[in-house]
Amino acid sequence: MTENNTGLPSFIRSWNQLYAIVMGSLAVEICLFYLLMRWLS
Amino acid sequence: MSIIDWSVLVLTLTGIVVYGIVRSRGSRSMDDYLLAGQSLPWYHVGLSVMATQASAITFLSAPGQGFTDGMRFVQFYFGLPLAMVVLSITFVPIFHRLKIFTAYEFLEDRFDTRVRTLTAGLFLLQRGLSTGLSIYAPAIILSTILGWNIYWTNLLMGGIVLIYTVTGGTKAISYTHLQQMAVVTFAMGLAGYLTVKMLPEGVGFVDALHVAGEAGRMNLIDLKFDPDSRYNLWSGLIGGFFLQLSYFGTDQSQVGRYLTGQSIGQSRLGLLMNGLLKVPMQFLILLVGVLVFVFYQFNPAPTFFNKQETESLKNSRYASQYQVAEIKHQNLTAQRQKAVLAMQAALQTDDEAGQTTAGTILRETDEALKGVKTDVTKLIQLNNPVADTNDVNYIFLRFVLDYLPHGLIGLLIAVIFSASMGSIASAYNSLASTTVVDVYKRLINKAGSDADYLNASRWATIGWGIFCIAVAQFANQLGSMIEAVNILGSLFYGVILGVFVVAFYVKSIGGQATFWAAIISEVLVVISWMLNLTAFLWLNAIGCLLVVSIAWMLQRTLFRTSPNE
Repeated sequence: MTENNTGLPSFIRSWNQLYAIVMGSLAVEICLFYLLMRWLS
Repeated sequence: MSIIDWSVLVLTLTGIVVYGIVRSRGSRSMDDYLLAGQSLPWYHVGLSVMATQASAITFLSAPGQGFTDGMRFVQFYFGLPLAMVVLSITFVPIFHRLKIFTAYEFLEDRFDTRVRTLTAGLFLLQRGLSTGLSIYAPAIILSTILGWNIYWTNLLMGGIVLIYTVTGGTKAISYTHLQQMAVVTFAMGLAGYLTVKMLPEGVGFVDALHVAGEAGRMNLIDLKFDPDSRYNLWSGLIGGFFLQLSYFGTDQSQVGRYLTGQSIGQSRLGLLMNGLLKVPMQFLILLVGVLVFVFYQFNPAPTFFNKQETESLKNSRYASQYQVAEIKHQNLTAQRQKAVLAMQAALQTDDEAGQTTAGTILRETDEALKGVKTDVTKLIQLNNPVADTNDVNYIFLRFVLDYLPHGLIGLLIAVIFSASMGSIASAYNSLASTTVVDVYKRLINKAGSDADYLNASRWATIGWGIFCIAVAQFANQLGSMIEAVNILGSLFYGVILGVFVVAFYVKSIGGQATFWAAIISEVLVVISWMLNLTAFLWLNAIGCLLVVSIAWMLQRTLFRTSPNE
């Protein structure tokens, strides 16, 4: 799927790892937003 | 605006234009002019992509949406990170390897000239019109609030950008995007900070969030699946995914940005940076609007933020009715202020019963105030049938002018101009590149020299600049401008995306089937919108699915010859 890892920052091992970070961040944001909403209403 | 504001505004804008021209001197080829010689690093790509998407409307309408409708608009962007990942895996490597200038070139390679020309035509129509709106939307607001002439404001808004877009091309656009994003981030951050600082003593940021929560403004997530609801988790994730995929994958104003990356990796990193930062950025912009809402819980808010309309009402035959509404508004505001103070006291003493009582009063007065606003809006419409009654766009700017210090006012007006310039510059550039690469070079002058095409690109930029400014001059009121632009996008993006999905993933379908499927689908999407069959975000998914399924059926029935006939 993501054939080579050139151009990646040194602390990221592969493109797949970076894609997982982006999607994981979204999931975390949605959870945080939900908790924030519940806490404030 | 004071002399300080004018100085800040003029210096900021001049700085951006001069910097753009100086840093981009020496575009000698079409590749340099349209793709910056594919030489830019990932952070240039990322910031350029973000600056292109964040138009002036984002900074005018979004805080207003936060004020009136709360935070739920943030869900609209949930599909974006997913779209960035899909683009990085599929579109970016293909576009880079084919060494194309526009996304539509790829379609000729995959299908035929007809599909390429049809898709490029749909893009030119959609982007040309929506760029006109992007010029008009902030111009009408600035002209109304600051008393500027709308025609000159349109001209200024769309004209400044032409100076460096025509001379410096994509490189100038990318360099100015960096500056524009810096100005925007600094000024919006400062505006949010000062809004909290201006709250009464003892009311901090967390208290402000509690007040906003009690008034229903922290409605960040709606889990209910309702196709008619404009913003919920599912429409954001699914509808938003299709919209963002179409926008970033098939709209040349964005494709042209990430094709400037010096490698596949740099383009990918730029897009993924956008995927990581966009949702938090949009959250913060909406939060500024919510904080402005909290500020007005402690301070008298105008019945209507577009003062020009209420001033005109005061001198009309509806003046007495307006006065009654004003008195009602003042009484309700006083009641709300008491409730907010009671809420604050209850929060500090952890008095849950007090919080509930104050919260109930807060919500009731909020509803009653909305009712008064509706009455005033009706009076404004009766007084002036062509009045701009969509107050959402005026809330933030009115607040800025009434309460923020001089200097920052100029800087925030510069933010509106900068954001506008950022997206308009990319739009002009994409319109010019599509015109030259997909129409002029492909159909009119196939054997021209590089200098011919460079020259044609410059003239096309000027031509589209004039067209978009002309559209802005004739634009009428279209409700919330941010929604108007997104609705216009949703009418075309789904179909364009459908064509690309077939191109990438359904190899058995050929050009003829795709061409006719695109035309039939576009007609069906427009009919769905006219009949108001569903919320506009879903039109992206519907358009895309229609193209894929109709093309598949046509391929299996009417066009059963080779897929590449």
